[in-house]
Amino acid sequence: VSGLEVIVYPGSEQERSTAIPWLLLRTVAICLVLATGIGATGSPRERAPEKNNALLATMQQELRRAQQNLGKLDPAPYFLSYSVYDDTLTLAVGSQGTLFTSSRLHKRSAGVVVRVGTPTLDNTHGENRTSAISSGTLPLADDSDATAREFWRLTYEEYRKASRAYLNIKTKTQVNAQEEDTSADFSQETPQSHEDSTRAEDTPEQAALESLVRRYSAYLRKYPEIYSSTAIATAQRSVRYFVSSEGSVIATPNTEVRLFIEGSTRADDGMDLIRVETFQAGTLDHLPHDAEIASRVEKLAADLKALRSAPLAEPYDGPALLSGRAAAVYFHEVLGHRLEGHRQRGEKEGQTFTKKVNQPVLPPFLSVVDDPTLATLNGTELAGWYQYDDEGMPAARTVLIQDGVLKSFLMSRMPIKDFTKSNGHGRAQSGLMPTGRQGNLIVSSTQSVKDADLRQKLIDEVKKQNKPYGLYFEDIQGGFTLTERRMPQSFEVLPVLVWKVYPDGRPDELVRGVDIVGTPLGALSRIMLTGDKVAVFNGVCGAESGSVPVSAAAPAMLFSEIEVQKRAHSLARPPILPPPGFEGTPAAQTTKTGARK
Amino acid sequence: MTRTPWQSTLAACALSLFLAGLAFGQSTKATADDDLLLQAMQAEMQRSKAQLKLEGMSAPYYIDYRVVDTDQLAAEAAFGALRTSVRARFRILRVIVRVGDYKQDSFFGEGEGDVELMPLDEDMLALRHQLWMATDKAYKSANEALTAKQAQLKQLTIDQPVDDFSRAEPVHHLEPLSRLDLNTTPWLKMLEDVSGLYKTDPKVEAFDSSLNFQAINRYFLNSEGTVLRGGRTFYEIRFSGSTQSEDGMRLDRSHEEVAEELKDLPAPAKIVAEGTKLLGTLKQLREAPLADEEYRGPVLFSADAASSVLLEFVGDNVLGLKPPLGQPARTKGAWATSYQSRVLPDFVSVVDDPTESSLDGKPLFGHYEFDDEGVKASKVSLVDNGKLVNYLLGREPIRGFPTSNGHGRAKPPSNYPGPSLGNLIIRSSEGVSHDELKKKLIEMCQQRDLPYGYYAETLGPQRTPRLLYKVWVKDGREELVRGATFGDLDARTLRNDLIAAGSELEVSNGVLNVPHSIVNPAILFDEMEVKRANQNKEKLPDYPPPPPTQASGK
Repeated sequence: VSGLEVIVYPGSEQERSTAIPWLLLRTVAICLVLATGIGATGSPRERAPEKNNALLATMQQELRRAQQNLGKLDPAPYFLSYSVYDDTLTLAVGSQGTLFTSSRLHKRSAGVVVRVGTPTLDNTHGENRTSAISSGTLPLADDSDATAREFWRLTYEEYRKASRAYLNIKTKTQVNAQEEDTSADFSQETPQSHEDSTRAEDTPEQAALESLVRRYSAYLRKYPEIYSSTAIATAQRSVRYFVSSEGSVIATPNTEVRLFIEGSTRADDGMDLIRVETFQAGTLDHLPHDAEIASRVEKLAADLKALRSAPLAEPYDGPALLSGRAAAVYFHEVLGHRLEGHRQRGEKEGQTFTKKVNQPVLPPFLSVVDDPTLATLNGTELAGWYQYDDEGMPAARTVLIQDGVLKSFLMSRMPIKDFTKSNGHGRAQSGLMPTGRQGNLIVSSTQSVKDADLRQKLIDEVKKQNKPYGLYFEDIQGGFTLTERRMPQSFEVLPVLVWKVYPDGRPDELVRGVDIVGTPLGALSRIMLTGDKVAVFNGVCGAESGSVPVSAAAPAMLFSEIEVQKRAHSLARPPILPPPGFEGTPAAQTTKTGARK
Repeated sequence: MTRTPWQSTLAACALSLFLAGLAFGQSTKATADDDLLLQAMQAEMQRSKAQLKLEGMSAPYYIDYRVVDTDQLAAEAAFGALRTSVRARFRILRVIVRVGDYKQDSFFGEGEGDVELMPLDEDMLALRHQLWMATDKAYKSANEALTAKQAQLKQLTIDQPVDDFSRAEPVHHLEPLSRLDLNTTPWLKMLEDVSGLYKTDPKVEAFDSSLNFQAINRYFLNSEGTVLRGGRTFYEIRFSGSTQSEDGMRLDRSHEEVAEELKDLPAPAKIVAEGTKLLGTLKQLREAPLADEEYRGPVLFSADAASSVLLEFVGDNVLGLKPPLGQPARTKGAWATSYQSRVLPDFVSVVDDPTESSLDGKPLFGHYEFDDEGVKASKVSLVDNGKLVNYLLGREPIRGFPTSNGHGRAKPPSNYPGPSLGNLIIRSSEGVSHDELKKKLIEMCQQRDLPYGYYAETLGPQRTPRLLYKVWVKDGREELVRGATFGDLDARTLRNDLIAAGSELEVSNGVLNVPHSIVNPAILFDEMEVKRANQNKEKLPDYPPPPPTQASGK
């Protein structure tokens, strides 16, 4: 789905609203999201290095053979790379204190990239990036014969695809008018050699994850109004291998554990209300303590109960305060996706920021970097950490916006006007062509007040604008953004906890059914000041090059104006009978309580 | 011995066989006392029957709960090395709530049930929670579906109304559960050994093998009082190879083994020997001449080749599938209007008989005592001396066939109920031996001055011949050819051009969709078009494969 990027948080509103009444598929989809996105997170740890990696040797040998043989053909490839993603994914899904399913999958995926033509014009040009990659499955053990055989098969098939695409492109560029951006198709880079080979830590046993989902999903049993809940635990041990005809040889290991807990209820008017908590860490023992997870699950339940009876929000346009987490998601969607390098060049892209380099795009007190080299931020592990990107380039801290002025983009090896090099942000899930993506997007501010004073600043602004109330966005689930030209250049984020803040001393009031809408340039210019503490949001981000783990970090932000609209929702009633175990209790009559207007 | 559609045939010990034997002829008096899942289903069923009703809406007149518990080992190897091996267990629930009445109800669109995952743990409240949630969703959707259906029906004139649901006697039948209990190591090694055979032939481009072992336990409960439980196991092995002839034509072959008990699978060494045989035929195919551009004349199908043709053109057309709302046809199939008409030559008869558990010692997978809707299985005569006399029915009636004949099966993964095959048995009243069929083929060619006829031994997907032989009139010699395709092969060909069939019946068992069998003889057509396939030929690989470093058969 070119042009539509979603931060996909399993079980988010979008997945919920799909017409598939097919829970298993939903679960499988969740697994996929988790499975494919993981692999680049966790902190570097001590490992026993393994000498003379057999897999790398096979890859190099077969790559050389391909180079020699294909080099004799016309058109000859000028670049080849082989990659292997060796992933062991352990997954457990449960609900109500019980297990739904659990499994462990070990998989080695192979990717073969062939570029035909020259770096100036090759088979990836324009809309043809997929012509450069073919993928398959490798044996689990280092069986060099079987591995070489699969690479051979993938390579000659991929070569055919690439050369066919290249011939078409050559003709097309001669026939068509000159493109606006005449950049080359592939950047010149220095080969990399990094063999962090490769005994990644063992991934936790299935039983350990099963006990996690049983334990934490059991907390939601005691709430009759939480009709449906799911706990998912995943652990992934991942080693990536990369060799290229330029001479790069890279192996990097990783582990990651993720815990996802979702609860949902339904208001009397039919609006489905969902809250999600996620936890992630490099290893199981790095997850937060039991008591912390438990208290966040309890808060999730309390939030849902409060949301059920919260009044509906009205369309609103006025001052608003975003919590750090909410601001982080907001920046990921509204700004981050639009700074992805390849979007500055695509003829179908909206190119909001393409011609704004060295111009102000944010208030001058804000700066934004993307720094995948950071494994933690203020003690929180970051999901968007990696050492090398999926094109074998070293991860690099990249200043995107300095003091409000646009400086750079998130670059893969696809050059754009004035940016001819990669900055280590070429990312993809296995089997897809890398594009510029976010890693750890970090927003910093020089115009901040103490977090405790933000509420008063919001009230001051509400009074100044003579509005009846302001909005406080405590949490945002995720969102999506449209960047294609033929679509409106807009975004939507999905807030889940929103409070009305009154200027007259009344207590804050929780409301539900709010969506933030707007266009990126306008919205970003209305930030007035920020808080002093940076919050981290870890998640999985989906786009053309697949699902990748990302982090976004930002302080809380006060906006002079944010526009919200009513959320469309179903009209289905809450359950007719009380849940099993609550037959005699008043909770059965949940349909009678709650505020309906 | 009694078997429900779900009973385990992995009758692991003599005791269970003995008990099953005792139960013959009567419903098993096992109780749900020790089965928490059944108890949870019963508890929620009772509550829903008594209380589930929205104000101003009608209460359900029928509810059913179906839980299918699958324990599965799936593994795959290629080029002598394992690529995946996953063990997974999950339970899938389908709840169907019907509002309205037997004449007209809500089983339509959104009203066809809700599907959820179920806990694997023995936890009464958690099990009931999922049932509760699914029942609530299914009931609400049922009400909306009935309204939608009635609105649509108002636009239509229905001359001959057909009931939506047939009545059935409640049954209570509990069978022991099945378990997947095995030492996987020799089987995973077998996958590697088979696919490792590629090393014996450098021209083989792909060689994959896979296995799928599963234990499926089914639980079914309805508001009419039916309780069913039973389990079965299936062990499937498959391997396939692919090569290219010198001119670039892609040539594929595959082989499958399937059994209900592990001990009925061929030993790993025997399977590897089958792999060697398959490689041999790939080599023969590579060297075989191309089929002639066009041939029109008699073609003999082996029983194996005939089975996929008959499955498609007979099996699919005898299902009593209700046509879309308002359409006057009797069923959806090609034989929707053929009731009491000739659909096959008059020497051919077809029955579906789930009550048979084996044929000449070969197990029949389509065997069961009660179907998935709790209706007793019965032998149904479908085509009598060429004439279509009945359809296979579940509890959804079609015009002229108001009741189920015990062929309602639930198809995984969503377990949607509907008519399906059990043991489809196709016989000829004038069956002759294979040699006589071949003789007949040659005679017919002689009469038409054809130098040869065709004999199809195996077919691949879309009925493309994989092993196809020219049978030469002058000396009866069989010569393998490649690159042929059948020009016109459909239900009409079967009716008009089928002129003889064999006397020996072969059994093909299938697990996909629902476990079923097709039993049929070889068949001879007097006129069929065999053309050279119009497929483009890929180039041979641009460079040679990597030379193996290890000896074959590691």
